[in-house]
Amino acid sequence: MKKFGRGMATIMFGFGYGEGFPDHSIASIEIKEDERIVIRTAAADVGQGVITTVIQIAAEILRINPNYFEVVQGDTHKTKNSGSTSATRQTYFTGNAVKKAAEDMLANLYHYGSLEFRSNHPEIAIEDGKIYMYDDPDDYITYWEMAERVKERGEKLEAEGSFFPVTYSPDENGQADKVYVAYTFLSQVIDIEIDTDTGIIDLLDVYSAIDLGKAINPKNVEGQIEGGTVQGLGMGMMEDQVIRNGKTLNAGMTDYLVPTSVDVPKFKHYLVEEEDSEGPFGAKGVGEPTLIAAAPALANAVYDAIGVRFFDLPISPSKIKKALKEKEENS
Amino acid sequence: MTDQSKRIKDYFCKHTTRCTIEGVKKSKRFVGHDVLKADAWDKVTGDAVYPDDISFDDMLYIKIKRAVHPHAILKDIDISRAKKVQGVVDIIVAEDIPDVRQFGLIIRDQPVLIAPGEKMRYMGDALAIVVAETKEAAKKARDLIKVKVEELEVITDPFRAMEDDAPNIHPDGNIVITHHLNRGDVDTAFKDSAIVEENRYQTQFIDQLPMQNEAGVALYDERHGVVDIWAATQWLHDTQADVAQSLRLSKDQVRIIQPTIGGAFGKKEDVSVHIHLAIAAMRTGRPVKLCFTREESMITQSKRHPITIINKTGVDRDGYLTAWETKFIGDTGAYASSGPAVVHKGMYHATGPYNCPNLRGVSHAVYTNNTYAGAMRGFGTAQGAFAYEQQMDILAHKLNMDPAEFRLKNIYKKDSITPNGQQLTHSVNAEETIKRVMELSDWKGGRK
Amino acid sequence: MQITLTVNGEQRELEVTPYTRLLDLLREDLGLTGVKEGCGKGECGACTVIMNGELTASCLVPAPQADQAEIITVEGLGTRDNLHPIQESFVEAGAVQCGYCIPGMVLAGKRLLDENPKPTEKEVRYGLSGNICRCTGYAKIIDAVMLAADKLAVEGSDSND
Repeated sequence: MKKFGRGMATIMFGFGYGEGFPDHSIASIEIKEDERIVIRTAAADVGQGVITTVIQIAAEILRINPNYFEVVQGDTHKTKNSGSTSATRQTYFTGNAVKKAAEDMLANLYHYGSLEFRSNHPEIAIEDGKIYMYDDPDDYITYWEMAERVKERGEKLEAEGSFFPVTYSPDENGQADKVYVAYTFLSQVIDIEIDTDTGIIDLLDVYSAIDLGKAINPKNVEGQIEGGTVQGLGMGMMEDQVIRNGKTLNAGMTDYLVPTSVDVPKFKHYLVEEEDSEGPFGAKGVGEPTLIAAAPALANAVYDAIGVRFFDLPISPSKIKKALKEKEENS
Repeated sequence: MTDQSKRIKDYFCKHTTRCTIEGVKKSKRFVGHDVLKADAWDKVTGDAVYPDDISFDDMLYIKIKRAVHPHAILKDIDISRAKKVQGVVDIIVAEDIPDVRQFGLIIRDQPVLIAPGEKMRYMGDALAIVVAETKEAAKKARDLIKVKVEELEVITDPFRAMEDDAPNIHPDGNIVITHHLNRGDVDTAFKDSAIVEENRYQTQFIDQLPMQNEAGVALYDERHGVVDIWAATQWLHDTQADVAQSLRLSKDQVRIIQPTIGGAFGKKEDVSVHIHLAIAAMRTGRPVKLCFTREESMITQSKRHPITIINKTGVDRDGYLTAWETKFIGDTGAYASSGPAVVHKGMYHATGPYNCPNLRGVSHAVYTNNTYAGAMRGFGTAQGAFAYEQQMDILAHKLNMDPAEFRLKNIYKKDSITPNGQQLTHSVNAEETIKRVMELSDWKGGRK
Repeated sequence: MQITLTVNGEQRELEVTPYTRLLDLLREDLGLTGVKEGCGKGECGACTVIMNGELTASCLVPAPQADQAEIITVEGLGTRDNLHPIQESFVEAGAVQCGYCIPGMVLAGKRLLDENPKPTEKEVRYGLSGNICRCTGYAKIIDAVMLAADKLAVEGSDSND
């Protein structure tokens, strides 16, 4: 028999290393004569998309199409510390560092532009890679020409930005004024069906609402929610590295099961965008929070479906079958 | 050599990502838009270079001989037969590298190679680095290394590890670190509560299972005294620092270049191939490559912590949380890795996003002889949520309340105070997420 | 021993041992590093190629078995400047995160659409079920294959093949 169940979970995640750790990110931007804008950051892109995020932020500030950008990342000898790609921190930390570098660059474009046009900032327009006087848009110089002229002065059209928010280490009672830079919140409802003969959970729909301040790239945020949720569901219903007497019994992908394309549910998302955080354009981190609600929402859905609470993970088909049998025997 | 330097130059350039974005050319706003991923073109064509995709002429291959028992003293290691395998260039054991220091993310408790007289503490500990002309030769030689050990009690359970008579896995004892949380008056609040619910939760070992296993290539640039390492890490400069201190080099002498990373999820925070690669490259003077198999990756590298969570939660008649007592005991396995941070971060989030004035908590990260546990997406709070969100559901049912209403009643708002005493001064829209998800799912008291 | 095979339309003659895996032959001898190794046991699909029209885990195929075979790897579809509609759909749908599974996914999508140009969502899910992705939760990969089906239908025929 198939039994329907629905469960809810709401979670929070304090992101950044916090706890007084000297957590920070440094980034730089350089405009080159050969029509390239180079962003340098050590922020590791593990697939989450920090490369694209920082390009979008810099493009927005510098008012130029993302096509002109190139990101140099991942070389200790070419980039300064950007901190770890962990703790859901890169959008917030490196995003802010790049934003500050871009703002510094924009200010420099105004500075050099005002020298070039012998004018003052309010009379100058900067957009689409061009610098000109408002009253004479046809007489412009491009960012690339400006880079050339700055080079001729023996300088570089380059800017650096960093972000270094303060947090405090908790005392012996775990107390401090500011332990984490900010919190991301997420609520999720999961609908399932359980086959009471096999104990197999069929994942139907997942509804998510995330308080993320601002989505720099909504589609990539959805990708994080879907990917994180599926990892959380894997934790909830199948993943288990079995270590007995110190030895792993299921080392390898034959016996360590993770969700496949036929296992995963359908998704609906709502992004709560209040733009009220101190991250770039009000953004907060989303990476880890997207995983956390899935296992408990699933556990609550399982209870809703069959009236059994599971306190141990994963909630595997064999555990469900066993619990249903015990329930039947006791009733 | 010219050919090789040309190829090296290519690899230095490969990790720059040029953004080519269609569809937004007309727009002047880029934040908040679905700009296509800059690295997607390289990834759909197979052009993206991951660590394992890098090869040099004249390159050697490494295999690592690992522990034969989860907790044992190494008595003897015999590499004589292995050395005779055709194509073997070098077999490096602990006595060849006496100056090399231990490494580790928070506590430097991981040995680079186990020396005779020292202990192996889990199945992933390295005993020897085998370097050969081919992968096959390296593997064959590795399997011919003979090891004698004196077996010790294998501690598989953190509760056993915490007992007085348990042998110490590390010299300072098995409890790596303990943290506390204390706010308000928990005992009085429980006495005055209408309902008190106590449960014990248990989570499991999980592998982050990024699609790409740990892999890397290294080259020693003798002229500049710099070892170049192409391998993934989630934190370039931290890995650089740890490798440098371990090898007693300056930071500038260790250059880490990050190729495309085939997923991480916390698993690539720890050092994996890096130090062994550097040692082999420096000793042989030739480019070297080390790629873990999936099995090796699962046995050797970090896991999500199994955490035992004991939650005692009180509510009053009106459905407001009154008190919360929690205990987190995390099995951090043989080495600390991120464990000292994971377990208490979980505890700091023990109540979820809910107001609760009285709190008491304790967390322990504990050594065992299991594969070490470290960072994985959620970092202790995923385990915590499994416990606190079931507590919330159970209490809602006992109160005869809609679980969503119960959550709304207790949810954080602006100026709420977290278990750490942090006042939430901005960007607290947790309530909105509940209301929105109720709308989205057509929530009717929990039933569809 | 000597084998002859056609890889991405080009005939190649190669010297192999009986133990060489097709995966290593493609990656190391032919430099086709778009073919990835994820598990070495035929479970994850990262090393997927199309061999004689069938999806094949190249880590399980001894090279001699590929004698006279016709093989397509991701490099045989489109280039950066001239993407195959399936590759283009993966980019546009936001289906790419770390990218390690993507060559295999793209080929699984191609194989499915070659046989079934108008698949249902369920058929797409089954068509991709031999390929593990750890980043995306599959949703956008499924979208990408559905999008590719639409694109290919409009084009009428697969001109890049």
